[in-house]
Amino acid sequence: MNDRIDKQNSIINRIVDGSVTIDSVAEFEKLLKAFPNDPWLHRAFADLLKREKSFYPAADTYGTSAKLFIEADMTLQSIVSKIHEWRILKPSYQEEEAFYSTLHQCRSKEMGIQRFFIKMKYPEIVAFMSELGPRHFPPGSMMKKFGDEENDLYFVVSGALEETIYHRKERDGKIQKKTTKNLMENDFFGEIYPFEEENVSRSAIETLTRVEFAKISKSSLMTICRKYPNVQPLVEGLYKSRSESDKKGLLRTVRKRVRHQLPTQVNLKIFPNESDKAPLDVDGFTEDISLDGARVVLSKDFESGHLDTLVGKNVKIRIYLPAAFVSLSILGTTAWSKSVSLPEKTTAVVGIQFKDMTNTDRRLLQSYHYGSEGEQNLIWSLWDSLMEK
Amino acid sequence: MRELQDTEMESTPTIWAVGGGKGGVGKSVVSTILAFWLARKGKRTVLIDADLGGANLHTLLGIKSPPRTLIDFINREFGSLEEICIDTEAKNLRLISGASEVLSLANPHFSQKVKLINHFSRLDADYVVIDLGAGTSFNVLDFFLSAHEKIIVLTPEPTSIQNAYIFVRNAVYRKLSRLSSKNPSLQTLVKIAMDPKNELQVRTVKELLQFIQESGGKDEARAIEKEIGEIRPAVITNMVRDNKEKNAGRIVQIVAEKYLMIQSTNLGSVSYDRQIFSMVSDMVSLLKLDQSSHASANIYEILTKLLGE
Repeated sequence: MNDRIDKQNSIINRIVDGSVTIDSVAEFEKLLKAFPNDPWLHRAFADLLKREKSFYPAADTYGTSAKLFIEADMTLQSIVSKIHEWRILKPSYQEEEAFYSTLHQCRSKEMGIQRFFIKMKYPEIVAFMSELGPRHFPPGSMMKKFGDEENDLYFVVSGALEETIYHRKERDGKIQKKTTKNLMENDFFGEIYPFEEENVSRSAIETLTRVEFAKISKSSLMTICRKYPNVQPLVEGLYKSRSESDKKGLLRTVRKRVRHQLPTQVNLKIFPNESDKAPLDVDGFTEDISLDGARVVLSKDFESGHLDTLVGKNVKIRIYLPAAFVSLSILGTTAWSKSVSLPEKTTAVVGIQFKDMTNTDRRLLQSYHYGSEGEQNLIWSLWDSLMEK
Repeated sequence: MRELQDTEMESTPTIWAVGGGKGGVGKSVVSTILAFWLARKGKRTVLIDADLGGANLHTLLGIKSPPRTLIDFINREFGSLEEICIDTEAKNLRLISGASEVLSLANPHFSQKVKLINHFSRLDADYVVIDLGAGTSFNVLDFFLSAHEKIIVLTPEPTSIQNAYIFVRNAVYRKLSRLSSKNPSLQTLVKIAMDPKNELQVRTVKELLQFIQESGGKDEARAIEKEIGEIRPAVITNMVRDNKEKNAGRIVQIVAEKYLMIQSTNLGSVSYDRQIFSMVSDMVSLLKLDQSSHASANIYEILTKLLGE
């Protein structure tokens, strides 16, 4: 955890997105010594070992990354690491079952994709994983063109893509380019549900960085749904959750969505369940913040030791935004907590899921992350004209 | 008397602050190599680690466990910053090791920060280089704004460019907030203009100045424009792998000029250097870096620009 706070995320991102290639086992081992808890790094190392045909160490390392992804609440990434591991070493029944129960340790279940996997029963997830095929694509790959038949469901494991959605003009029915949106890790695409509809693609999707997908074909998914009736409602829920977040228009308004790692000072008031008790008042800083929630590292004043009592509570988070001339208060819920070592002290990191906020607050937070719409647009048009290769 | 004043002025160090918003873009590496080259040029230099959450600049200098840190000074165990300076392997280069969270989380009052900044100015050095670490908390911004040279480090990645710009933007707004706090009528105008709940929809510094001017605050608007204009950050693009990537700093420069009404300097770029990366991973002192490496040479060029040579 401390490694994440400490830094060098940038270089790990570059290894993951393929812009930095490390092809020496020794160099990777050095890196892992420095960042022993980074699941992405273990995953990249496992890929290298596999390429070098060191299959047993690769399987072992995939296993480690799967475990670390679970700890970081990254269900899809953990499943994909496990698939790679099991393709090398066939698992025993006990190993499959153990992994299934670890999936349920995932604390944050707010994302549609997490709910989708976690709600599957043991034989269902095993069947699903056996059909899920992970694959890498380099930047600039056209994944889907306008008019292509929709035959597959793709989950984005890592990387970024751009989707250009086309619409017909009402007047003459001609196709015109309408909007673009970005797809990032944990998004999915492929309009294969409802199964009885034969859809053709209304958008084009291209990779912006190196991307890893996990793909399942429509026919395989239909077979699973026929065999395990519990799965179809989960598929329906998955698509529903996406359309709901699209309706909210939250993160989609911003081109190239990213998690933000601007440490920002905050104050938390965590309300106990008992109404007669005073709320816990603690300062901290955000390690990671988006419009959906934040990971907050509590200040050293916080006495760790009762982490579980922090979870599932209502919380008021006050964020001090230098540009707003006001502090921003958002209500939320503490979704999970774990201990974290800071120099000289152990404290806690808390995952907070924001509840609905006013449009004004959302605009403020968005402006803090990205700047105003005009500023964002100028940054991205300059990026396109000066940096695109 | 005149001679004494000159001597006093000469003994005040020039302060450079290195910030940039995002973690992991190489602020500490750039700070360290800049400080190293300053020392090599015979300038008495003190490098200060003011990194949030993970003070570890000492490891880049090959110091495993610093005997004294900034926290010892803040806790008044030592009366001056001179006493907590640690010698490094390089001649003319000393380090003040960081105290995680002290500057950012303990939230010193503005007067305490001013006091600390005054102590930076009293160091017996020609140059003080402050590695600010990630984030845009008030404390980080205040240290950034107080420096003579305000350096922004970014990498050619969308998030880094965005965060570097947001860092500059927050620094401008922080300065604006401090300026207006000294003038109650101006503060009222700024609060009205920037209140997200009102319908004025003031979103940029330019619009804000227009609003203040139209509300009868012509002189105030002019004064703010002048003060903000003095921020002038200097941008360094780090970990560059090809010519196109060198443009990342230019993006921040253009957007800041248009929306924040500030002129920034593009100091140039530093090549991606695997040697540095390995040294950081292995905790080998960057003072041992091959001086002919591209990155080291790039930072030397940047230094000559900063010194106006």
